[in-house]
Amino acid sequence: MASLPKRIIKETERLVSDPVPGITAEPHDDNLRYFSVTIEGPEGSPYEHGIFDLELFLPDDYPMESPKVRFLTKIYHPNIDRLGRICLDVLKTNWSPALQIRTVLLSIQALLASPNPNDPLANDVAEDWIKNETGAIATAKEWTQKYAQAKE
Amino acid sequence: MANDEDYQYSSSDDDFPEQQYYEPLEHRDITNNILDDYEYLNYDTDSLESFNSDVDIVDGMAVSHVTNPNKKRSIEGAMVNLKYECFTTQDIFNNMLEKVDRLQPMFSIPREDIILLLQKYGWDEDRLLEDWTNKMDGLLIEAGIHINNEQKELPKSQRGISNRDFFTCPICCEDQIKETYSLECGHEYCISCYRHYIEDRLNKGNIITCMSCSLALKNTDIDELMNGPSSEKLMHSSIKSFVQKHNENYRWCPFTDCKCIVHIQDTTEFVEYIRLHYSPYVLCNESHRFCFSCSFEMHSPADCEITSSWIKKAKKESDNLNWVLSHTKECPKCSVNIEKNGGCNHMICSSCKYEFCWICNSDWKPHGSSFYQCTMYNNDELKTQTVIEDVSKTLKRYTFFYRMFNEHEVSAKLDWQLGQTVGNKIKSLQEKMGVSWIEGQFLTESLKILNEGRTALKWSFAVVFYSDSSHNLTKIFVDNQALLANSVEDLSALLQIKSPETIMEKKVEFYNKAGYVENRTYALMECGRELISKGIVKITN
Repeated sequence: MASLPKRIIKETERLVSDPVPGITAEPHDDNLRYFSVTIEGPEGSPYEHGIFDLELFLPDDYPMESPKVRFLTKIYHPNIDRLGRICLDVLKTNWSPALQIRTVLLSIQALLASPNPNDPLANDVAEDWIKNETGAIATAKEWTQKYAQAKE
Repeated sequence: MANDEDYQYSSSDDDFPEQQYYEPLEHRDITNNILDDYEYLNYDTDSLESFNSDVDIVDGMAVSHVTNPNKKRSIEGAMVNLKYECFTTQDIFNNMLEKVDRLQPMFSIPREDIILLLQKYGWDEDRLLEDWTNKMDGLLIEAGIHINNEQKELPKSQRGISNRDFFTCPICCEDQIKETYSLECGHEYCISCYRHYIEDRLNKGNIITCMSCSLALKNTDIDELMNGPSSEKLMHSSIKSFVQKHNENYRWCPFTDCKCIVHIQDTTEFVEYIRLHYSPYVLCNESHRFCFSCSFEMHSPADCEITSSWIKKAKKESDNLNWVLSHTKECPKCSVNIEKNGGCNHMICSSCKYEFCWICNSDWKPHGSSFYQCTMYNNDELKTQTVIEDVSKTLKRYTFFYRMFNEHEVSAKLDWQLGQTVGNKIKSLQEKMGVSWIEGQFLTESLKILNEGRTALKWSFAVVFYSDSSHNLTKIFVDNQALLANSVEDLSALLQIKSPETIMEKKVEFYNKAGYVENRTYALMECGRELISKGIVKITN
């Protein structure tokens, strides 16, 4: 593999030396563009006390192209589908090279805190969310309990 | 001229005037008619000029009229009085620039800024003007033209390239950067990151902004940064998305590598014409004729519905045909299709009991020494095919028509190649025979007619395929088809002549044959339309 761009090295260093609260991101030893990420469910959200695993990949053209991020832990959220794909503007059209891995992960955490059922990716979840919000939140909590617990 | 009526198919709806177009060739002196046709055609040179569109400016739009409704009969079967314009993205862009110049006094902001505003509004002038009167300065901030005054975190800077020592670019994190770029917002990045970023965005057709805020780069900024006219590319992609968005009124020419865009202002009258089974054919500036409604090449006598289902079927059925072709072989002796669904290469035809080798298709006897093996080529066993396609009757019927269709398509391609030589022929006519350019045009004209005849012939097979074959009118249609086919072949043969002397000698024959093909084409198209409007054509899948 071509040598790692300075930008990625710096970002990685900073993620380790100055981590974002509630978020960890570690590159794999065999592929420094591939990160294992965990995000804690934000306080006051149905995902509170959950720890969600994600994977993040920096494509060749990073930072011109956005990082690819996907949830590995099952989650009940209107903007995240069954495969863990995330509907988030900064990952698509609003990506700018001035954004970073940490800003993207913070945006994802914010998305957990404020789901947006009006711009859904998982239609069934979004519908549930709009029609029966308390029920949907209960399901989200239940899923968090069931799937998003720290491994001992 | 009276005889001429008989060639046309009379479109009156009174009870079945079939004799009118069925009869002429069998009962009358053909040569006479043809000479009449020659007169009728009159080979007016304007018809050629009609393709070199003259551009006149109407209401700020470059209008290139290509239609000439009263001209050629062969263009009928299309809508009459269809008004359209043909553009390239460059033309559209120039129109937009004119728009900008007209708007400039109203806005009293620089031209570049108006371009940004128009881009933001998808080149929709009216909506822009409406919002402009309501919002004014707010709009300028929204479009990233003016800096938002609340955004004061960074010291304001000059728009442009600066020279620095030891600048660390926040994008690539390289230090010791010498050349940087920033807008008034002060977000400064190295020039190579900026270039990379712009390169990336040019194809997307959206406004390119600063990487950190919404301040927009103007076309002049882009060109300055990229050291060249890159903003043109951005404008083109912006226009492209404009065309895609307005696909009701704009169509790309479907021909390969053709960059023309045809614009029809008013498509409301389409409905009525399509009800009468006319198709809205348009001709782009590169002389490609296509149907505006279905974006296929000219497909008369078939209408859009037949065309699309024929194409769909061709796609679907060609899979079946391909399967038959790739999984079966014809018995070398009796030509029955054989599928090998296992076993060795020693084949015994179930129909004629001929023994042959599957691999080399020749007699099995010489293979005798290496048992069940072809000595020439050692092939892995073909994977067992469990699906046995039922090559039904309909498929056979379809295959027949598809082959005919295909054959004419191939011939049309050859004709097109022939067309490449026509220019040379005309040149040699001029040089050797002293024929004037305009006089030599009968060759070009004949070729055009030949092409149209071929296309009509090709699509007529799609019509016949969907027609009720027992109906009398279908039979008449098929007869018309045969007549056209013959005349097309005659004309094609004539166009193969190489020697300029012979060509000049046969000039009259060219006129006659071409005129005849033209008449037959027209008759076939009209007959097809009749067939379709009478509901004899049924589309089944």
